[in-house]
Amino acid sequence: METQSEERIEIGRETESGAGISGTKFDAIVEGINIFRTFKMGEVEVRALRGVTVSIRRGEFVAIMGPSGSGKTTLLNQLGILDTPTSGKVIIDSIDTSTLSDREKGKFRLYNLGYVFQDYALLPELTASENVYISLMMQGKSKAEYESSAAEILTAVGLGDRLSQLPSKMSGGQQQRVSIARALAHSPRVLFADEPCANLDSQTSKEVLDLFKKFNTELGQTIVMVTHEDWHAAYTDRVIRLKDGMLEQ
Amino acid sequence: MLEKAKVSFFLAGRSIRRGNKGITIFTIFVLTLIFVQLVLFSSMLAGVTVQFNKLLVDFQTGNVVIEPKEEERYIEAASALQKKIESLSEVTGTSARLKASGAFRYKEKEMGATVYGVDPTDESFVTGLESTMLSGEFLSKPDRGEIILGREISGGFGALMDSRSLGGVEVGDTVEVTIQGRTKEFRVKGIYSTLYFMIDSAAYISRADMEEMLGVQDRDLAQEIAVRTTEGTDEAVTREKLISLGVRENVRTWREFAGLLSLIEGTLGMVRNIMNAIGLLIAFVIIFVVIYVNIVNKKRQIGVQKAIGIEQNVIIASFVLQAMLYAGAGVILGYILMHYGIVPYTVANPVQVPVGAISLELDDLEAVNRAVLLFMASVIGSVIPAYKLANKGLLELIWEK
Repeated sequence: METQSEERIEIGRETESGAGISGTKFDAIVEGINIFRTFKMGEVEVRALRGVTVSIRRGEFVAIMGPSGSGKTTLLNQLGILDTPTSGKVIIDSIDTSTLSDREKGKFRLYNLGYVFQDYALLPELTASENVYISLMMQGKSKAEYESSAAEILTAVGLGDRLSQLPSKMSGGQQQRVSIARALAHSPRVLFADEPCANLDSQTSKEVLDLFKKFNTELGQTIVMVTHEDWHAAYTDRVIRLKDGMLEQ
Repeated sequence: MLEKAKVSFFLAGRSIRRGNKGITIFTIFVLTLIFVQLVLFSSMLAGVTVQFNKLLVDFQTGNVVIEPKEEERYIEAASALQKKIESLSEVTGTSARLKASGAFRYKEKEMGATVYGVDPTDESFVTGLESTMLSGEFLSKPDRGEIILGREISGGFGALMDSRSLGGVEVGDTVEVTIQGRTKEFRVKGIYSTLYFMIDSAAYISRADMEEMLGVQDRDLAQEIAVRTTEGTDEAVTREKLISLGVRENVRTWREFAGLLSLIEGTLGMVRNIMNAIGLLIAFVIIFVVIYVNIVNKKRQIGVQKAIGIEQNVIIASFVLQAMLYAGAGVILGYILMHYGIVPYTVANPVQVPVGAISLELDDLEAVNRAVLLFMASVIGSVIPAYKLANKGLLELIWEK
């Protein structure tokens, strides 16, 4: 735990002394300011985001919705610093991520952010437990620490009896729960989920969303989730709607 | 630093343990073959060298050769010196030889070659020429006017330079030999071949005949004394012992006569280096392709690893470690295959080559050298594709097909 908090303070301190902190909203944990993202596909330029400004409060459970091609996943990638905006900036917990190098961004993600992908994105050669503790291992935690943390979080998502199971031997719902456990194992500041229930049936989707809600209400976990379904959005506190790369008025 | 190495080892280990077994087995199998190929030629070359050396010692020089002092033509009181040398316990035989360049003539053909005047009994204690007769017999003590020809002189019998020979002399034929202006006819008593063309380009007559032709009868002279020692004796030690015994003549070990062999060895060494370079290049390409295919298949996984904060260097190192493990396994299996399989097989069933039957000789130092080179090839062959891919952007790794 000590290493993690030291790391967070270190990155925070570095950036606090730097420029570009908006500091406009006291409780904002994620701020996207005037984000543009343009992709080049051969000769054609696709403007996926066209000046999006969003703010997500600490402890908030937010859904990003919109029709296909509206820029939902692109926005999530910018906020989750998986991608770099063409212009604009993303500030997470007062840290201007545009000032971070790729290496620093990697480190920042390791300690501060968690991700749940649509297709679970588990490493097939690692067991449930190993998938969960790989990032804790990377943080330099001891074997006892990362193994017990992984067991604890997997038990919390209802997979306490499947620690040594490989992803290939699990159902979609179970794999997604491992993925959630992996995203939450290091107690991230923000959890980003990109259509986490897209490949799941309604019953399993409900279980996954219940889990998100549980971590949000019980632990105050900030969650940003992209979804297509209105009933998924019903679990969230607020919906950010996008259309054609802009916020829908 | 340590935790990064730990993660790299962890990922590499899991990938090998739980990854595609077929790819692992195939890669290790190919690397095993490459290692064998890398050491095989060296082992063959070492085998040929050993065979050449053996031929030289067994059929020409013996282990040690005594030559006249500087600026002297002959060794004086040769039999007394022989007795002195034979007093050493490790010496099993000595042969005092007279030698001269001779001009040979048979029918219309002429050629020049070295002629040795030997005591057949003494010679048989030093060299095994007797056992190499292709036709006829070796000299015996009372023989006069008889000659033994190497097949490069007689011609026929598969001589390598048949056109330069006398063109098919047979046992019983008479050849004319001129030494230092004296010409004498000799009846061919035997034709031999040691398979080493340098030794096969000589002729042997009795000491008495040679003394007569050189005009040095009853003077107990020799131009060289070949000394045979017991198996496993260090020639350098024998040389020292002979010097301390009071032998004032030049004492040389057989190695000093192996100059031509070093030349051949050097030439073959160059060929070996070229083959090694090609072998390594093949190893590099195979490792590159295998790792590249492996990595391309894991593109998304690499993206996910990067997304959750696993450092790029850690990811690259995990692939390099895998390649090193493959190379390590290939080297170990290749070494076992050579040491306990191929080499013992060729010892039990020597390979017939023009210089005789050879067995492979595995030099451990060479094997270590090849292992290091293979390791380097595998490191480079894995770093490049791993770096190229891990360096790509996250979006490209995770979402692009």
